[in-house]
Amino acid sequence: MFDIVQSTMPFLLAGLWMTFKISVITIFFGSILGGIIGLLRTLNYRVINIPFGAYIHTLRGTPFLIHLYIVYFVLPQTGIAWLQLDAFTAAVIALSLYTSTYVAEIVRSAIQAVPRGQSEAARSTGMNALQAMWYVILPQALKLMIPPMGGVYVIIIKGTSIVSVIGITELVRAGEQATQRNPRELMLIYGMTAVLYFAYCYPVLRFAKWAESKYGTVRLPS
Amino acid sequence: MDWILDFYNYRVVEQYLPEFLRGLGWTVWISLISLVISLTIGTITALMRRSANPLLWRPAAAYVQMIRSTPLLIQIYLIYFILPTLPLLDRRLDELESGIVALGLNAGAYMCEIIRAGIESVPQGQIEGAQSVGMTRFQTMRYVVLPQAFARVAPVLMGQTAVLIKDSSLVSFIGVFELFSAGLEVLNERLMPNEAFLTVAAFYLAIYSVMLWLTGRVQRRLGGTAT
Repeated sequence: MFDIVQSTMPFLLAGLWMTFKISVITIFFGSILGGIIGLLRTLNYRVINIPFGAYIHTLRGTPFLIHLYIVYFVLPQTGIAWLQLDAFTAAVIALSLYTSTYVAEIVRSAIQAVPRGQSEAARSTGMNALQAMWYVILPQALKLMIPPMGGVYVIIIKGTSIVSVIGITELVRAGEQATQRNPRELMLIYGMTAVLYFAYCYPVLRFAKWAESKYGTVRLPS
Repeated sequence: MDWILDFYNYRVVEQYLPEFLRGLGWTVWISLISLVISLTIGTITALMRRSANPLLWRPAAAYVQMIRSTPLLIQIYLIYFILPTLPLLDRRLDELESGIVALGLNAGAYMCEIIRAGIESVPQGQIEGAQSVGMTRFQTMRYVVLPQAFARVAPVLMGQTAVLIKDSSLVSFIGVFELFSAGLEVLNERLMPNEAFLTVAAFYLAIYSVMLWLTGRVQRRLGGTAT
C-alpha cells in the first residue's frame, strides 16, 4: 500500500497544482466580474437589474456541467474565431461566470447591509456618491464579504473537479489516470484524492468561520 | 429561417424529445429519493451535533466537514467503487443506487447545517413550555421544536433542494441515465452540441424556476423570511 501511495503521489500533486491554478485564476476573474455586477445591481436601475437578474437566474438555475459544455462545445459552433477556446480557457471562463453569480449576490447584500446612515453621513460631509462608496461603504462592506467569499472559494475548488471531463488533468483526472495504472487500488487512490481536496478546502472553511466570528460583530451595528 | 436550423435544429430536438423527457423523469425521481435520504440524514445528524455527548456530536461534525470539503464527484466515485467491496449486502449496488446514495449523503451534510440552524432558532421558552406541560425530551423535540424548526428553514431547505437537483447531473459520470445523459446521447449520436446542451439547460432552468416559485409560495405561506 505504501509504495502505491509513494508512486502515485507525484501525479496527484501535479493534479492538485492544476486545481490550485484554475481555482486561483477563477476566483480572481470571477470576483472582478461578480463585483462589477453586484455594484451595478445596488444602483437599483431597472435597465441594469433586469438583464443581470436574468443572467444570475439562468446561471444559478443550470448545473455547472452544462455551462462547461456550452462554453466548450456550443460557443465554437457560432463560428466566431475567438470563441474557439482551448480546454483550459473554456474551464476558466465557465467557472468564472459561475463564480460571478455568487460574488454578485454577496457584494450586493454586503453593500446593502451597511446602514443607510453611513452613506447619508458621508454625503452630508460633502463626499460625492463615488467617494462615499469608496471611502465609507466599501471598507465596511468588504469585511462582511470575507466569510461568504471563503465559501465561494470552496465552491470553486470543488467545481474544478468537474472540468476533468473536458480533458484537463486536474486532481480528479490525475486520480483517474493513476487508477488506470493501478486498477486494483481504486479505493486507495480516490481516497488519497479526497484527502488532498480536504487538505485544500478545510483550511479555507475554517478561515471563513474564523472571519465570521471576528467580523460577525460588524454585521449587526446597533 | 435557415440560420436558426443551422444553429439550433429544433426538428432534431423534437425527434429526441421522448429521450429528454425520460431523462427529466429520471432526474426528478433521483432527486426526490436523494432528498428523502438527505433530509433523514440531515435531521439525525443535526440532532447528534446538538448533543453534549462527544461520541454523538464528533462523528456528526466530522461527517459534515468531510462532505463539505470534498467535491461531490469524488464522493460519487468513492461510493460507486467502495460500496460494492463492502460485505454488507449480498448483492452489488448498481450505478443508480450508488448515485442516489452519494447524492443523499452529500446533500445530507448541507441539510444538517440548515436544520441545526433551524433548531437553534426555536426560542428557549418553547422548550421550557413543552417540558412544563409534562412532555418528555423526545416529545418536546418531536412535537414542539422540530415542526417549528422545519417551518423556519423550509425556504432554505428548498434552495438546497434546487442545488441537489443541479448536482444530480453528476451521476451521469458513472453511467446513470438522467437529463444530462440524454443530452450526451444527442451529442454522441448526432454530434449536435447546441441542440443537446441548450435543450438540457432549458429543462434544468424550467425545474429551477418551478422550485423558485414554490419557494416563494412556501415563504409567503409561512410568513417572514427565514435565514
